[in-house]
Amino acid sequence: MSVKEEAKNLLGKGMDGVLFYQMKDGSAIPHLFTSKDIDEMPDVREIPDSERYPLSDILSKLLMRFSSAKFGIVARGCDERAIIELEKHQQIDTSRVSLIGFACSPELAKICSCSKPYTESLADEMNEAQEISRGIESVERMSTPARLGFWLSNFSVCVKCMGCRNICPLCFCKECSLQDEDLVESGVLPPSIPTFHLLRAIDMAGRCVMCGLCEEACPAGIPLRTLYGKVSEIVREELGYVPGTRGVKSPLEELGSSVGSDDDLKS
Amino acid sequence: MTNSIGEISRASLLLVVGSNTTENHTVISGKIIEAVRNGAELIIIDPRKIQLSQISSMHLRNKPGTDVALLCAMMKLIIDEKLHDENFIGERTEGFEELKASLGNCTSAWASEVSGIPVSEIEKAARLFAGAENASIIYCLGATEHVSGTDIVRTLANLSMLTGNVGKPSSGVNPLRGQNNVQGACDMGALPNSLPGYVNVSDDEGRKEFEDLWGIKIPESPGLTVPEMIEQALAGRMHFMFIMGENTVLSEPNSQKVIEALKNIEFLVVEDIMKTDTTDLADIAIPAACWAEKEGTFTSTERRVQHVGKAVEPPGDAKSDLEILVRLAGIAGAEGFDFKNSREVFSEITKVVPAYAGINYERIGTKGIQWPCSSPEHEGTVFLHEKKFTRGKGRFQPVKYRPPAEVPDNEFPYVLMTGRNAFQYHTGTMTRNSPSLEREAMYPYVEINPSDAQKESVKGGDMVTISTRRGQIRLRARVTDAVCEGQIFIPFHYREAPANILTSEELDPEVKIPELKVCAAKIKRGQSRGVRSCNNTFLNSF
Amino acid sequence: MIDEEMVDYRTVPTVCPYCGAGCGMLLEVCSGEVIGVLPMKGHPSSKGSLCAKGWSSPEFLKSSNRLAKAILREEGEEKEVSLESALGLVVENLNRVLEKYGPEAVGFISSARCTNEENYLLEKFARTFAKTNNIDHCARL
Ligand code: SF4
Ligand code: SF4
Repeated sequence: MSVKEEAKNLLGKGMDGVLFYQMKDGSAIPHLFTSKDIDEMPDVREIPDSERYPLSDILSKLLMRFSSAKFGIVARGCDERAIIELEKHQQIDTSRVSLIGFACSPELAKICSCSKPYTESLADEMNEAQEISRGIESVERMSTPARLGFWLSNFSVCVKCMGCRNICPLCFCKECSLQDEDLVESGVLPPSIPTFHLLRAIDMAGRCVMCGLCEEACPAGIPLRTLYGKVSEIVREELGYVPGTRGVKSPLEELGSSVGSDDDLKS
Repeated sequence: MTNSIGEISRASLLLVVGSNTTENHTVISGKIIEAVRNGAELIIIDPRKIQLSQISSMHLRNKPGTDVALLCAMMKLIIDEKLHDENFIGERTEGFEELKASLGNCTSAWASEVSGIPVSEIEKAARLFAGAENASIIYCLGATEHVSGTDIVRTLANLSMLTGNVGKPSSGVNPLRGQNNVQGACDMGALPNSLPGYVNVSDDEGRKEFEDLWGIKIPESPGLTVPEMIEQALAGRMHFMFIMGENTVLSEPNSQKVIEALKNIEFLVVEDIMKTDTTDLADIAIPAACWAEKEGTFTSTERRVQHVGKAVEPPGDAKSDLEILVRLAGIAGAEGFDFKNSREVFSEITKVVPAYAGINYERIGTKGIQWPCSSPEHEGTVFLHEKKFTRGKGRFQPVKYRPPAEVPDNEFPYVLMTGRNAFQYHTGTMTRNSPSLEREAMYPYVEINPSDAQKESVKGGDMVTISTRRGQIRLRARVTDAVCEGQIFIPFHYREAPANILTSEELDPEVKIPELKVCAAKIKRGQSRGVRSCNNTFLNSF
Repeated sequence: MIDEEMVDYRTVPTVCPYCGAGCGMLLEVCSGEVIGVLPMKGHPSSKGSLCAKGWSSPEFLKSSNRLAKAILREEGEEKEVSLESALGLVVENLNRVLEKYGPEAVGFISSARCTNEENYLLEKFARTFAKTNNIDHCARL
């Protein structure tokens, strides 16, 4: 069954809209399909590999805006991982969401070095995950001074566009530590080295689902996937946690919630 | 731009002149960074340290206003050492001998004296440039806002032709346009001397075509430029003015004078999306829709005609400038304004501007088309002058170095430069109403070199008064080595400290661009206010 | 299922309103309101990137400084007038000045922030109706 058929079924079953892409003058753009225009929903193969957007983030915005509506979403593996992780952070109420999954093309999976380029519903049909390399190894092979130089020179071209944060499906905080004047001085380029980038990397630990949208959005071409990939690797190895998987919350989150709130401090 | 943005990343050498690309054309600077990652050499000519300096092969921090001297010396060396592209010069250009003769005295030693750059650096830059497979020149307002603005454009074209870096990918001479549709406004003939498509108003044949098309006679002598209109207004000879979407008070040099002038106009109409200092002076202020509230096309710096989509309705009575003009023409009984939408206007444009002839909204789609595009079958043009120049052969235009009009003296010992920063834009009409940008750059500031700061007993965060022969403003000091000793820099976005009160209206004699970049100024300390320093302790520890 | 009319989300492809790089962007629209912006991934030159200005471009849309009504200033007093009467006054004064002082005494300043179509129309209006070449824009800067 095509995603369009599946989406139609969902609308028939009481969903208010299905989020996916629309093809407009040769570009894929995010769109919420309703019964009015569902016939225009393209097939997943029509969506160019290079035109991915943070659908999970859009879904979360829609759920908040339309507080009783139910939505379907046609999702990739990374969209699904983001939805799972967002639910753990109370940003998405999955009882109001139905997911239609699809798998990315092998070419895209390779570009993303993605170990799970498909949704859970398709896991049985897919081959075992391949080994992944996110450029981490080649950076780790460098000597310590060379590695430091590599990151410093990358950080030095950052233009503080905030694109990495803005496009990140897992960045949902109302107050962003990157805008804390005491941590990152405003108005200065490049933003504080390395505080700006390490702050974000730490925030991503236990959250990053490796969608790679940040790196794609970075006008300075900074290898952010490698940076956050390394942080994720540490969290996986030391704490045994993989963001975007079902079940327990990130141990870092547990840590944050028990000591982090003002109320606790006051009492 | 003769070439396209995407080609930049494949250049083997980039010469960036007077463009703080990272702050002003961020996404283009991304392509420069990519080119450097791919192994390109990056040469920067700019008095100020810019973010790209960190990854450049050479940064020539010359004295402001001396770019022409530097470039002429580079050309002389290239010719003397026979590094020029003889084939290209022979086949595609004329006037080489004149150029060569004009460079006679432009020795590296002379340029070094004028610009403050060591001879060895000038020569190294020249050799690097001449030796590059694909050398692309990128320049911006920092280069052109001088009395010698036209000269620098010619000089860069000369350098590019001299080394055969024209008409092939990842090369050429590429001005970066400051505002989104400067290219389009020029293409459309919003210029006192040219009709749409750069047809000179004094060209009888060209003008006749428009007269036939529009069915009306057009005056044949060129009109007034903005600075000239302001002069006329001051003199009491401009009685009606219509300003569409410009905050003229802050954007033109010598704001005080502009205010005087505008007040002197009997009837001033200003159309804008926001209340500005200019709408405050208007007899009638008309509310306009902004870019998200209307449909139309913008033409980017790489000549890409792109579609602006209407997302939402404008607030209150605001209407698109297009609708306002059509209605206005209707009331006035003007003929030839019977348009229902931007599409219809565009189709008339394609009939009068040959470079747009083959373009329509369907073809523009979401990716745009680069002009010239002569027919519906033509794919558009990625880079210009591939086989020949517009006028057949490329003509070298010898240029003589002219020093800046106003130089520092005892009373005004500093060279004041003005420009933009990354988080504000132009007069701030849009950015200062955008909280996330405003938080980054809320206060006007002046950049002062640490040793000058010491001399003037100024600390970072102190309030200082900067004055020139035209006026003075008070703002905070930012002590930084981004500016050289003897130079100061002020971003001009701030109405509470409008840099253009200070600037000179000295005009480039040919294109009449005011010399906004260089004038003489002095610093006076005001009451102090402590603000944290911006030392990067982490970096310093390595 | 809630009222279908209410649920909507679409993105509108457009161009950044700031610098001449002309980066492609998508405006996210929900119930007649711009709720965000996304970089246009398939754009030939910006390829899915924006700078700080581009990313924040929807912010000024709802600024309290937006001009929403035509304002007439007479003897130092400001008053709101309808667009129609404002345009009427513009034409009246333009005609009066043209008659009294001729086309040399009128000037038009166009904007690099307006569309090609708008620049074309203003230029055409200046030349064909006011019969003056006194038309320029701020692009010299
Ligand atoms: S996207 Fe890149 S340039 Fe922009 S803030 Fe993030 S790291 Fe810096
Ligand atoms: S996003 Fe930035 S670089 Fe791109 S057009 Fe807008 S202002 Fe220019």
